[in-house]
Amino acid sequence: MKIAMIGWEYPPFKVGGLGTHCYGLTHGLADKNVHIDFYMPKLRQKVKSDNKNINIIEVGETEVYPYDRPDDKELGGKFFEAVYRYNDLLVQRVKGKYDLIHCHDWLTMKAAVALKEKMGVPLVLTVHSTEYDRSAWIYPNQWFVDIEREGMQKADRIIAVSEFTKRVIVEKYGIHPDKITVVHNAVYPIGEGEKRNLILFLGRLTIQKGPEFFLKAAKKVLEFEDARFVIAGAGDMLPRLIEQAVHMGISNKVIFTGKLTEEEVQHIYKISSIYVMPSVSEPFGITALEAISAGTPTIVSKSAGVSEVLKNCFKVDFWDTDEMANKIIALLRYDSLRDAMRQSSKREIQLFTWDRVAERTLDVYRGLA
Amino acid sequence: MPSICFYFEVHQPFRLNHFSVFNIGNTRDFHSTYFNQHLNQKIFEKVAKKCYLPTNNLFLDLIRKYDGKFRISYSLTGTFVEYCEKYLPELLDSFKELFKTGAVDLIEETYFHSLSGLYDDLDEFEDQVKMHRQMIKRIFNYKPKVFRNTEAIYDNRIAQKIADLGYKGIITEGAERILGWRSPNFVYKPVNANLKVLLRNYKLSDDVGFRFSARNWPGFPLTADKYANWMSNSFGDVINLFMDYETFGEHQWVETGIFEFLKHLPGEVLKHDNLDFATVSEAVERYNAVGDIDSPWAISWADEDRNVSTWLGNNMQIACFNELKDIGRKLKKKGDRDLLYIWRLLQTSDHLYYISTKGFEDGNVHAYFSPYDIPYDGFINYMNILQDLKEKAESR
Repeated sequence: MKIAMIGWEYPPFKVGGLGTHCYGLTHGLADKNVHIDFYMPKLRQKVKSDNKNINIIEVGETEVYPYDRPDDKELGGKFFEAVYRYNDLLVQRVKGKYDLIHCHDWLTMKAAVALKEKMGVPLVLTVHSTEYDRSAWIYPNQWFVDIEREGMQKADRIIAVSEFTKRVIVEKYGIHPDKITVVHNAVYPIGEGEKRNLILFLGRLTIQKGPEFFLKAAKKVLEFEDARFVIAGAGDMLPRLIEQAVHMGISNKVIFTGKLTEEEVQHIYKISSIYVMPSVSEPFGITALEAISAGTPTIVSKSAGVSEVLKNCFKVDFWDTDEMANKIIALLRYDSLRDAMRQSSKREIQLFTWDRVAERTLDVYRGLA
Repeated sequence: MPSICFYFEVHQPFRLNHFSVFNIGNTRDFHSTYFNQHLNQKIFEKVAKKCYLPTNNLFLDLIRKYDGKFRISYSLTGTFVEYCEKYLPELLDSFKELFKTGAVDLIEETYFHSLSGLYDDLDEFEDQVKMHRQMIKRIFNYKPKVFRNTEAIYDNRIAQKIADLGYKGIITEGAERILGWRSPNFVYKPVNANLKVLLRNYKLSDDVGFRFSARNWPGFPLTADKYANWMSNSFGDVINLFMDYETFGEHQWVETGIFEFLKHLPGEVLKHDNLDFATVSEAVERYNAVGDIDSPWAISWADEDRNVSTWLGNNMQIACFNELKDIGRKLKKKGDRDLLYIWRLLQTSDHLYYISTKGFEDGNVHAYFSPYDIPYDGFINYMNILQDLKEKAESR
């Protein structure tokens, strides 16, 4: 089987779960003898394939932008321009005999739909997030919603990263549920480091990821227990969050790291004692699996897809910072709780392999071939 | 001629309220802040309707119909009786009526269905056995002769204590660990005490308790005549069928046909000349011990492991258990009766059971009974309450 996969980011240059997913999925599929031409924008540095069944084809030139909606108008403008240019180029450049096209999220949908029609092959679309998630359900932008809806309608099959996302696709985009298959994400093992008294938030600093709830919980925890709170990641909320920490009088206990490299991300997972993912809307949340893989007990938002499938973690409402603090304090106080959760969750995520993701994805492909 | 010894455990715990770290030190009326009265009443009334009342009525009819030849035994925990007295006195009346038939025996246990039999010394255990004894005396004007510890937890030390307290028999699990090649269908005696031991036939008991509605079980569907035949073909003096009372109508829903099964069982059993029914007291009177039971380590009837790992199998459970014992030492010095009672309600073994992280097969059973989504939530809640109680034990 030979497929054209149209992506946006790919390790080592990535800003989020989409890049991680594409890397894991393409390698899982390659191991099952699927040949993949992976199309992506050309970056400043060349991305090399490390697998004979994966051929990376760079199209056009761009920079890796975070794929949310930057507040910065200029940056935003450049970003959308880059997306348009990339999609236009794709339609010209994607050539060859493929059994199907597989694309990811709105970034590549326009091109994928055009290519499907031009080449007459089936289209598979994976939805990693929707405009509703990215806007945290506050004023979703109709322009994105329309692109997404068109892509979903034109796709022959849709893969959603969670039941939660499937529900959004059905209810908000009016897509028939039978067309949608849920395939939960996976993780490559990370390994444990020496734990420090750190409580970690990691993600883009946007409303969607709920960093302000993390700060509120931090304030409550610090009234009872001593710990350092790390906010790792960049985003347009950074100045506001720094201000908030100062205002709460906890700025000496909160560390803002800015954007971290891949190595730094792995390191911070390894040395953190607790990972908190307070997302307002999170289609899946691979970072929870990554933290657990690094031996870090994890608290996730109930509105994260990962909470559907993961048993050995705490689940809280993102707005319930009292309960978040209650759980953080208990994890800090009781070794028995921390150890039990660390061990059981590590055991549990051994089931979350990219091989499984590839197998399920291949099932979807086979249904079309 | 095997006698069938049917015994039911009737218990409801006082489930806890959500209790966060921010509540610690801020409680005034602990009973209403620690215990979720609304949930507890709701569950109790639901189970009473589905199980306790209909099963009691059925058994009363069967006892009358077979003129006392159908004989059964019950163990009612103190917390269960408190529920009855508070919410449904007619349920207690119905147990009294059953007892008055003369075909029903009552079994002793710890009032709070606790793990006090595993504490470093057995003072608290003895206190709770005596509280139960007083309760049975008060309600039924009866003194039980047979004892069964919480979830049939048993070791040599407990057996010795029970003999010292004057009981004639004790009930535990027919576990291979203590039986070896021997059959549970005989009466035994503890290696170190003058007492008779009744051992649960877990295969036949679980055929009803767990497997009755399991379609992939070769014995499905289990009918009264089939079951009576199995027992008639069994070897031994006594077949001990011990199960949760909630088996009837709650674990096995009415739709499974469990009540029809019960209705026909006495008739089918009594068709066999070699079978009859006996209460636990009659079983220990009637049959001689055929061998010794030696159990230096505690066994129980719970889960596949049949030991105490259900309650003390992980470090979270052990941390709570140690905290619980520590608070007890402080409270006993202090002598505050209200706090002591609250502490005892918190000893009910269910609170530790909810924190069990045991594997898939057993874990499923735990999840079914637990008010918490995950055991870690159970731990935090219980531990937070214990911390609040500890503050109270240390102050005042």
